[in-house]
Amino acid sequence: MTAYEFAFLLLLALLVASALAAVLVRGYITSIIVLSVFSVLMAVVFAFLQAVDVAMAEAVIGAGFMTAVFVTAIAKTRRNT
Amino acid sequence: MTRRNGFALLISLVGTGGLLVVLILYAGTADALPVLAASFLERSIADAATVNVVSTVLLDYRAFDTLGEATVIFASVTGVSALFVGAHLTPKSRGAGILVERAIGYLAAFFWLFPVYIVLFGHLSPGGGFQGGVALAVLIILLNVVYGTERGSTVMTTHRLHLFEDAGALAFLLIGAVGIVQGSAFLANLAAGFPGGSPGSLLSAGAIPLLNLAIGIKVASGLATIFYEFLSTWSTTGSESTE
Repeated sequence: MTAYEFAFLLLLALLVASALAAVLVRGYITSIIVLSVFSVLMAVVFAFLQAVDVAMAEAVIGAGFMTAVFVTAIAKTRRNT
Repeated sequence: MTRRNGFALLISLVGTGGLLVVLILYAGTADALPVLAASFLERSIADAATVNVVSTVLLDYRAFDTLGEATVIFASVTGVSALFVGAHLTPKSRGAGILVERAIGYLAAFFWLFPVYIVLFGHLSPGGGFQGGVALAVLIILLNVVYGTERGSTVMTTHRLHLFEDAGALAFLLIGAVGIVQGSAFLANLAAGFPGGSPGSLLSAGAIPLLNLAIGIKVASGLATIFYEFLSTWSTTGSESTE
């Protein structure tokens, strides 16, 4: 196993771990942050697979936009209930 | 953890594991390019004078599909706007304090540079209208968080955002219509008479930079609109308040 393959497998393991953590962790905000970590890892996986355009879209949407929208939605709903 | 949760966890673990195995096995075998991909790689420069082959596929060979994706975003923005119909933007947040505001103020120029670079260099390097547009929307959100939505929503009102989005969508369609006017297909690139230029330079690739710009403006204003819609609330005292 080359170093490249090992790094890729480590990345995939981290991906699964972060996805599980996003579900299992307590608290909405923590879950969202872990989800954005998942998105960044996913972007690195895409970059590894030489799909840089997709990686860029994933990083910007997953880690940037979705986090902002989720945080806004949760801040909005928590205040009202 | 209940038994049902444990079962769900088991299923998701097995599913992800299987997916991983398939992915790794496939990644080991897929060395030869499919026929279509090889053909795209070979003919991208001759057909569209574009160095970034992904952008050639997205905005030349498959430009009609990209129009469909832009329509999907347009529909989602319309859907979110329809959900929040009758809601008003009530600017409340005051910003993040003087330290953060000054620091972001100095950095904002570089933050602007990044999405603009991604959009304008979409035909040369990875990226393009969609990625740059989303980055621009995230930048608008960041400025709103830092400087407070009170100031942000007066500079970039929802009305202006709607105008920008419509202008982007219209520009995309008009660039596509140039192809029909010139006697070629809808969304034709070099065949419609757009100058190809020398591949690899900034002013090249015919209509692709223009399409990137249109998509970037459209996506940025559309996603910023979604953010503003999420911020808006129904007035609790007015007669139009719903449950």
